[in-house]
Order: sequence, then structure tokens, then C-alpha cells
Amino acid sequence: MLTPQRTSGTYGLMAEFETPAEIMEAAKKVHAAGYRFWDCHTPFAVHGLDKAMGIKRTILPLLVFGAGATGAIIGFCLQAFTNAASFSVWALVWVTGYPFLISGKPLMSVPAWIPVMFELTILLSALSAAGLMLLLNGLPRLSHPLLSNNRFRRATDDRFFVVIEARDPRFLRSKTEAFLKTLGAKHIEVVEDR
Amino acid sequence: MSALLTPIADLSDRSIIGDARLTRISRLAFVIAIVALFVACIAAWKQQDAHGFAMIWLQNSIFILTLALGAFFFTLVQHITAAGWAVALRRVAEAQAANLQWIGLLFLVPMFWLVATNREWDGYGHGLALVWPWADLAHLTAHAPAEGALVSAKSAFLNPVFFMIRACIYFAFWALASRWFLTTSRAQDQSGDPELSKRMRYAAAPALILFALTSTFAAFDWIMSLSPAWFSTMFGIYFFAGLCASGFSAIAIACLRLQSIGYLRGVITSEHYQDLGKMIWAFGIVFWAYIAFSQYMLIWYGNLPEETVWFIARQIGDWSVVSVALILGHFILPFLFFVSRWTKRWRTTLFLGALWMLAFAWIDIYWLVMPVVPHDIATFTTYDQLSLAYHSTATGLSNPVNYLVLAGFLALFIASTTARLSRGSVLCRRDPRLQESLGFENI
Repeated sequence: MLTPQRTSGTYGLMAEFETPAEIMEAAKKVHAAGYRFWDCHTPFAVHGLDKAMGIKRTILPLLVFGAGATGAIIGFCLQAFTNAASFSVWALVWVTGYPFLISGKPLMSVPAWIPVMFELTILLSALSAAGLMLLLNGLPRLSHPLLSNNRFRRATDDRFFVVIEARDPRFLRSKTEAFLKTLGAKHIEVVEDR
Repeated sequence: MSALLTPIADLSDRSIIGDARLTRISRLAFVIAIVALFVACIAAWKQQDAHGFAMIWLQNSIFILTLALGAFFFTLVQHITAAGWAVALRRVAEAQAANLQWIGLLFLVPMFWLVATNREWDGYGHGLALVWPWADLAHLTAHAPAEGALVSAKSAFLNPVFFMIRACIYFAFWALASRWFLTTSRAQDQSGDPELSKRMRYAAAPALILFALTSTFAAFDWIMSLSPAWFSTMFGIYFFAGLCASGFSAIAIACLRLQSIGYLRGVITSEHYQDLGKMIWAFGIVFWAYIAFSQYMLIWYGNLPEETVWFIARQIGDWSVVSVALILGHFILPFLFFVSRWTKRWRTTLFLGALWMLAFAWIDIYWLVMPVVPHDIATFTTYDQLSLAYHSTATGLSNPVNYLVLAGFLALFIASTTARLSRGSVLCRRDPRLQESLGFENI
């Protein structure tokens, strides 16, 4: 289990809405109320919802750019070392690569290295984009309290849910429930953390 | 839902129907074009350099051609992929592509005149040889026997008659196809018939194949054959990548300018601009660099004299500066500039970036067309000797005629595009996918 296991407790409060417009309004208000540990669940992508929820843009592009640049640098250093390296380590060991003259080209022939640098750039950015996307989303995880809730199944069909987690500092069961009611939720229920 | 956050599209007549605002621009641009071309002709007359002027004319004609071809390709791609997002700006691309109806004259009239008069040009040979050395084999063989022998083997393809026939075929296809896509799209403005969208989608497939063939062979004919002994099988795709840079940038600039004079308010949003910016980035910057490098690396690696001369001609003298400037200005700097999301979405940065790409697309074509392979290149034993002997080779970029002809052609292009837009709707206003396009958002 990747999540700390608790024998019992409350995961949070789940409010159910029927239309995208309702959850959009609700999301704005939950955000305005200052909750931090909460999420929306919709059967399809609702454009503008992340803006309404006040979600900051992901840092993924920056990380991928860094990974890509790392790939290019690794590709360059790998080839520079194997083709043209020739230096001593603390005047003790003489290190040479595997210099090989090809059609009279200089040993440091950067044009010939670019395909490898390019491929490593692509490799590292693609792997980091996929891998870091999963990590930043908190994946992989084996279970989630919401998935054992029967009502929540309709999140993949025709219902829209706002879930406020119990670990939120502003979470107070009675107050949060009353707050969700003012948003016009059709149904509110406690999600147990099993 | 998204309507809560995005500005609501203004579909009133003032926002989407071409009117006097565009006619005024068209007239002004036409006057500028006439003046600029007139001054250019006088300046060229003073310089008494028929070859130089012909090259400048060719280079700028090709540049203007790429603006229209890029827009033509853009239109075809949106049709064949049945893309919803681009409907809001497709008319701008269609109107820009429809310039292909007259751009052929910039090529064909001088070409026919050169062939018809068949005059002997001092130091260049007869007729078309003023520009393309293969056109006068006797002259070429007399001055450069080795090159003459190589080129005469290609004379079944590279001869004036077949060359002219090919040019006519390219322009006939471009003119007819771009006209058909514009008129069909306009017919839909009236009828709103979804059948027309389908018909354009079907037509886009063969049109794309023909576009690939014609643009490739046009690049072979008009640019690659300037150094007739030299060849590169990926030259056509290099030209294609370049025309995407200039064509897509021109679409972005046209949309931004149209919006700034009050058209398409709320119709084209940051979302569309972001996607347009992505296309400039992907095709015009990254793909261009990919192809340019692939072409360079194969020739550099193979190291065959008849192939490397072409790049040597672009490394000697001041051309080395232009070559490095292209790597920086056509790839590295715009790559880093347009890789961010906000630069594509914010109008000011998109406008500046697109202008920059337009400038470097022009320099790219200048770099393709203008350098000359030294005729005595075979007499040098080392590269260093050659580059020393030719270290003062000038690029001719300081010649004002370049910019006068460019200004004239660009103004003609703007005059014609705005005149075309002023005669109808500037939006595909009854396209069945218009609503999808208006509500489009990047996820």
C-alpha cells in the first residue's frame, strides 16, 4: 500500500451535482471559501473547471524541458568522452576514449553526434513527461476511498461530484456539510476511509 | 460552460463581413506596391545588373509564393483532418491561398519573355540562362566543362520547353485548386450546406498529394537547378518546411491585424492563436531545423565534392554569417521563444514572433537562391585556401533593390488578400463546425 493505512475514519464529504454549470459554480465557491484539499470529479472534461477551481498550472513542462536538456547534454558528453576524451585523473591515470578517425573528420565532429543527442533528448523528455505526469498526479496507487463508494460510480456516467477532504484545515464536518448544502448539492454524504 | 470564461463571439455584420475598412487598406497597399516596384525598377536600371535583378525578382517571387502555398497547405490540412478548431480562421487562410491565382504571373511572364526573346546575356548565355545556367548548355560547357558534362546528362528534364510546361502545370493546379476551395467555402456562406464540407474534405486528399508533388518539383526547378550539377533528394521537403514557417506566420499576422481593425471580435481567441503558434513552432521551426540538419549532415558525412560545393558556397565570405544567423534565427531563438505557452497566446508576443519568422523565412530563401558556387572551386586543394581566396564574398543583402521588390510584392499580396476579403465574409460563417470552433479550448 502506498497510502498510509488507517483502520477507520472519514475521508471527506462528497456533494453530488447534476449539471456541469452547477459544478462550475460550486467549484468557484469552494475555492473562494479557502479549501485546499478538495477535488471535482466529472464524467467528461469540463472546460474552464480548473480555472474555476483555482488550480495553478502544472510545472510538468519545465521539468520535461529540463529532462530534455539533460538528455542532450548526456548525449554530447557520452560521445565527446568515447570519441575524443584524453585526459589524466590526478596525474595518476591516463584516460582515453576510443578515438576512431572516419573519413578524415576531426575527432570532435559535432554534426555526427547530433542524431544521438537528439534521440536522447526525445527519449528523456518523453519518459519524463509520462512518468512525472503519473507521479505528480499521485499515481500509481492501488486504491482510493472514493472508489468504494457506490454513489461515486456515477462520476463516470452522469453525475458531477465535489469532494472536500477531511484533512483540509478548514474541514469541520457540520460546517462543511452546511456549506455544501448552500451550493445546491443534490445529495451530500460522508465518504469513509476504509 | 466555457462561455462563462471566454469572450462571446461577435457575429454581427461589422465583425464578420468585409467592408470599406478592408477596401481602404487594399487601395493603400496597391498604391504602395506600384510605387515600390516603380522605384525598384529605376534603381535596378541604374545598377545595370540584369542578372542581379532577375535573381532578386526570383527570390522575392518565391517568398511571396511560400506565403500563399503555406496558407493553401493549411487549408487542405484542416479539411482532410476535419478539424473543428480552425474554422474560425480558415477563411483568412483561404483568401491568402487564393493569391496563387496571380502569383504565377510573377514567374511566368518574365520566364516566357526570357524564352521568347532568347537574348544573349553577357556572361550567362541565352534566354533563361540569365537565371538558370542549365538553360544554355553550350555556354555552360564552354565555361565550366566538368559541370557542363554533368548537367547535359540531365537535359531530358532540365530543358527550357519541359521547364516551362512544368511551371504552367504547377500554377494551373495551384490557381484552380485554391480558387475552388475559396469559392466552395464561400458558397457554404450562402447555403450552409454541410455537404460542401464533405466535398472539400474529399477533394483535400488528392489536392494534398498534388500539392506535395508540385511544391517539391517547383523547388527542384526554380531553386535547386540554380546549381544544376548539385542535387539533394530532400530539397523539396526543406522548401515545404520553409513555406510552413512563412505561410503560417502570415496567417497569424493577418488574423491579428484583422482583429485589430475590428473584425472577428471574440471569434478568434487565444486558444486558436495558441494552436496556430504550435503549428508555426512544429512545422516552421522544429521540422525545418530537422530537415535542414538532415540534409546538411548527409552531405557533410558523405563528403562528396559535387554535393559539398553547395554548402561551401554558403560558408565562404559573408555567407557564413548568414548561415549561422539562420541556425540561430530560424531555429534556436524562435524555438526557445515559442516553446512557452504564453508567447503563443499573448497577441503581442505572437505578432512579434510571427514577424521574426517571416523575416527569417525570407532570409532562408535568400540563402537558397543567391549564393554562387565558385567556378574555379576545383583548382583549390584545401578548404582553407578556398575560404581565404573568397573571404570577401558579399551577400548582396545591402542592395536596397531587394527590399524595394520585397515591399512591392508584399504590398501586392496584402492588397489582393484584403480586396478578396472585402468582397465577402471574413469568417466561414455557416460552416457546420463553426460553433465547435468558437468554443474551442486547449485542454
